[in-house]
Amino acid sequence: MIRFFTLLFFLVSNSIFTILEIEILKGSDNLSKVAFVPFGAEEGFEEDYGEQISRYVEKNMLLFGEFENLDKSEMLSYPSSENDFFYRDWKVLGVDYSVIGKVNSVNALGNLNISYFLFNINRRIKILEGEIIGNEDNIEDISKIISNRIYEQITGLRGIFDTKLAYVVNSDADTYQMCISDIDGKNEQILFTSKAPIMSPDWSPDRKKIAYVSFENGLAEIFIQDLQSGKRDSIQALGMTNSAPVWSPDGKSLALVVSFSGNPDIFLYSINSKRLIRLTNHYGIDTEPSWSPDSKKIIFTSDRSGSPQLYEINTKSKRKKRLTRDGNYNARGRYFPDGKSIFFVHGNDGNFQIATKKLSSRYIETLTSTSLDESPTISPNGNIIIYATKDGSNGYLGGITLDGKSRFSLPVKNGSVREPAWSPLLN
Amino acid sequence: MEPIGIFILAMLCQVYSCAANVSDSVERMQYASVAGDEYLQEEKLETNLDDKVYFDFDKSTLDAEDKNLLEQYLPEIKKAKIVRLEGHCDERGTREYNLALGERRALEVRDFLVVKGVSGKKIRVVSFGEEKPLKNASNEKAWAENRRVEISLY
Repeated sequence: MIRFFTLLFFLVSNSIFTILEIEILKGSDNLSKVAFVPFGAEEGFEEDYGEQISRYVEKNMLLFGEFENLDKSEMLSYPSSENDFFYRDWKVLGVDYSVIGKVNSVNALGNLNISYFLFNINRRIKILEGEIIGNEDNIEDISKIISNRIYEQITGLRGIFDTKLAYVVNSDADTYQMCISDIDGKNEQILFTSKAPIMSPDWSPDRKKIAYVSFENGLAEIFIQDLQSGKRDSIQALGMTNSAPVWSPDGKSLALVVSFSGNPDIFLYSINSKRLIRLTNHYGIDTEPSWSPDSKKIIFTSDRSGSPQLYEINTKSKRKKRLTRDGNYNARGRYFPDGKSIFFVHGNDGNFQIATKKLSSRYIETLTSTSLDESPTISPNGNIIIYATKDGSNGYLGGITLDGKSRFSLPVKNGSVREPAWSPLLN
Repeated sequence: MEPIGIFILAMLCQVYSCAANVSDSVERMQYASVAGDEYLQEEKLETNLDDKVYFDFDKSTLDAEDKNLLEQYLPEIKKAKIVRLEGHCDERGTREYNLALGERRALEVRDFLVVKGVSGKKIRVVSFGEEKPLKNASNEKAWAENRRVEISLY
């Protein structure tokens, strides 16, 4: 008798528990100190939106352990406008940057008008001034926009506080869940639950869809799921198995692995025409493709040399180049957003760790120190890598900032979490 | 018609609508219809033999011991209607590479059986990579047990 896997499928805006929460493990001794002064508010509000917003902004900015904050009790003054701001109050406390702001009601609809300022204390200048209008229900979203702008001004990097993370949760031996959440772990959604393994999630560039591999029909198949409607479609790209889907930067095609008669090779799959174009043709294992940011090249893993190593192929000329030579295991490569470096899993002496390499140099730099690290994903601003690792039999996510300022972990409350995939920015 | 048959028909309609090689779709159909236990209509046969062969890390080659074991198994394998080979890896290394490696291992066993006279048509191959470990632990013993091809007869 044929039994079907029970496929539960539901989209929920808030799950019962939040799975991920970032815990900072090690910060550098040399972090910039930022004072987040509680935002002021005009009288007449029932709730203290000012303090709520500055608290959210502070939490965002501290999320990855990149900054140190100044405790409110140590502050000498609580300015909320430029006129009340005095550099000496902050200089004396060793503060590098101060954030102040104020909430004003703007119209009868109850919309909020929020003004905010960022000061560089050492240079004694205002480096950012902004105004944002929003609804009181969107306080967290407003705070993310303000956080992004402050982060950009201080670091010169794009802010990532409104990005999301996709990941696979294996809560017990026979339950696999495809999940997404905000980057701070909030608003977790379970996209799909299955009794069979789920693998390899990847975001479409517009953040509206996720491609992943599911074994629900007994073999590896690629599905594309629409996040708005929850609708799932198998792409049916033929071959014995389909795996490792990754979206092209223009969102029109997937690079993926098709195994015809048991020989996995890299193909391009056009989402509209459903046409497959073969990229590699080798009797060895070719897998784990990923696009260069300019779409011209695809990095992939191949064991054609006898051990897994990274190669890149020009999608037009099909010219191939070997990228790694040191060590007997270099796999699942991804390009940095600038296209000049790659990050990957590097096997060395029985340890599997996350490593980076400039394309222009031979030298491999290992970033992590645990031994079963895999599935690295990079923040869209190129500054943070989140990866999967293990502690005993439980999988959890680890993170590291590439400037070496911070290490953090995202432990799961139930079972194992793995295969993190960082969403692109919303443009 | 069985529900799975309808599913495959629906899949085939899709398949014919795109630029497709018919033999590929047939291959996939056969594969999909018997890849999981859930899709096998035959009763699983009970055997007294060890039904697993084991591999070295990042290797898919069969050693003398494995071949010996498969040889002993041959009479029963030849009697079976369907032989299902399920390839697995340990947790080390990357997931997608391990998915391909598990397939390699199962195909290595298939090729050996075919050379020994088992009809390739009745052999079904599937890989779960590192997704379904037998032992959920991170040590040499667990890894060795997880690097396996499981043989089921129907």
